[in-house]
Amino acid sequence: MTFGFFLFILINGLSQGMVLFIVASGLSLVFGVLRVINFAHGSLYMIGAFLAFSLSTLLPAGSMLSFLVLLLLVPPAIALIGLGLEIPLFRRIYKKEHLLQLLLTYAVLLILDDACRLIWGGDIRNVARPEVLAGSIEFFGMFLPSYNVFILIIGPIIALGLWYLLYRTRVGNLIRAAVSHPEMVGALGVNVSRVMTGTFMLGCWLAGFGGVLMSALANIDLSIGMEKIIECFAVVVIGGLGSIGGALLSSLILGLGVSLIQLPLSRAAIVFPYFAMALILIIRPWGLFGKPER
Amino acid sequence: MNDTQKAKTNWIMGAAVILALFILPFVLARLGKTGEFWIWVTTEMIIMALFATSLNLVLGFGGMVSFGHAAFFGVGAYTVALLMKKAGVNLIVALIAAPCLAAVAAAIIGWFCVRLIGLYFAILTLAFGQLLYMIVFQWYTFTGGDDGIHGIPKPEFLGPINYYFMCLIIFLICFLVMRMIVNSSFGLSIRIIRENLDRAKFIGINVRRYQLINFIVAGFFAGIAGGLFTELNRFAQTEFLHWSRSGDAIFACLVGGMYSIIGPAIGSTVLIFLHIFLQQLHQSLVEIWALILGFILLGVVLFAPEGLVGLFQKVTKKSET
Repeated sequence: MTFGFFLFILINGLSQGMVLFIVASGLSLVFGVLRVINFAHGSLYMIGAFLAFSLSTLLPAGSMLSFLVLLLLVPPAIALIGLGLEIPLFRRIYKKEHLLQLLLTYAVLLILDDACRLIWGGDIRNVARPEVLAGSIEFFGMFLPSYNVFILIIGPIIALGLWYLLYRTRVGNLIRAAVSHPEMVGALGVNVSRVMTGTFMLGCWLAGFGGVLMSALANIDLSIGMEKIIECFAVVVIGGLGSIGGALLSSLILGLGVSLIQLPLSRAAIVFPYFAMALILIIRPWGLFGKPER
Repeated sequence: MNDTQKAKTNWIMGAAVILALFILPFVLARLGKTGEFWIWVTTEMIIMALFATSLNLVLGFGGMVSFGHAAFFGVGAYTVALLMKKAGVNLIVALIAAPCLAAVAAAIIGWFCVRLIGLYFAILTLAFGQLLYMIVFQWYTFTGGDDGIHGIPKPEFLGPINYYFMCLIIFLICFLVMRMIVNSSFGLSIRIIRENLDRAKFIGINVRRYQLINFIVAGFFAGIAGGLFTELNRFAQTEFLHWSRSGDAIFACLVGGMYSIIGPAIGSTVLIFLHIFLQQLHQSLVEIWALILGFILLGVVLFAPEGLVGLFQKVTKKSET
């Protein structure tokens, strides 16, 4: 195994991990504020990827501009779908028991996945990478696929943006206050349910964004939603529910781990997320960066 | 209606249903080909009712959401398949071994899982269930991977009708045993853990041990269901262990009503019947089965969280007053 090949695996694993982080941070954010684990999050990500595909067939192929249009239009569309889910459905179950919450989001998953199948069918698809990002970049004498490098740049920007939003703006203060003391925030005259809806939409926006990035990174089909939601579970469990930094670290661990294990043991790689999740739940159930609940 | 009267009507209704179930195959046998199909379907309903009822020990009475219950169904299924196909063991021995091995698997997985509660428990059971699924999926030489194991031998005496009776009797025995467990002091302790974990601890209940035992018992009965299902289909495949099968059982509990012992059996039967009914109505309806199921589930979660049994109780109560 040459060093260049090893580096390629590394870059690939890291960029898969970055996409995973973007999607999982949405799940984690929604859990942190609404205390609901959204099973349908992976489906929203999948719809994002397929929407990007459909939209890309209408736009001129290969231009950077049309890819930017995808990144600009698709995530808000997913956020709007989120709005359509939150107000009639999710809002009714915040105070109910865990089981009913899980089952409601599971029902939404079934409906969305089937709707997706009816609309787009079972074919394998992908979005053409824009020409600027289709080649490779020379880096100390090695050639790295530029789209992966692009994702590696976008990921930290999203992470920083989220951190800035949550910890340096008034909106972020409201969101964090709504997590810890919803009644108090309400008593101070803030419309808490609007904060919750907004957070849910932001989570969906992230899922859609991850979907667009993935649609040009790898092939997409009807199984990616289910695959991603399990990986996202693994990420938020390992990183600690509600922790952005933890989500970033554990996404990168998972992305790297899967692509490194894939080399010698291609079959064992898909077991890795489950294994890592089970392991962390046994030794440190609240995750690497989370806090014990009781 | 007071309580003793209620219990009496329940017993009468139960006896009537059981009697009907014993007469049913003779009626169906007269219908020729469609009758044979429906005997097969009712056998499947009975087995799935057993599976759903076993899950409900954990889910409804224990208040522990398990997404990994299919693992024990699968262990039972593969035990029967492997013992009968590769070791040439007869059906009865295989059917005794199936729940025992499933209980062992439940003991190992449960030992880890009962350390966690609520959401984390749900995710960990999901993770373990999928781990087992992946192992079976990848281990071609032993489990046949995604091809599964086909051509499981069928004992001479077991025609479809005889097999139906065998499943029915096993179901009835298991059902009565589970009913006894739920109503025993053990069952009451399990329910108090569901209602108030801290209080259960304060009054001296060893919460983890009770939950673990409950988990093992549920796994045991799921193993029986898995074994019976394998013999019915005469194959075992990885899909038996997939977590969507756990999901199906959870639906059955929810739709039927998870705070009653009979609810899951009713829910599972209704769902299977609905699936086949839609199939007969129009083929295209089956293609959107997940969509239909999703909407049913939404309706139940939002408007009738106590399921069909809860609805029935509401209706009968209204007619009294």
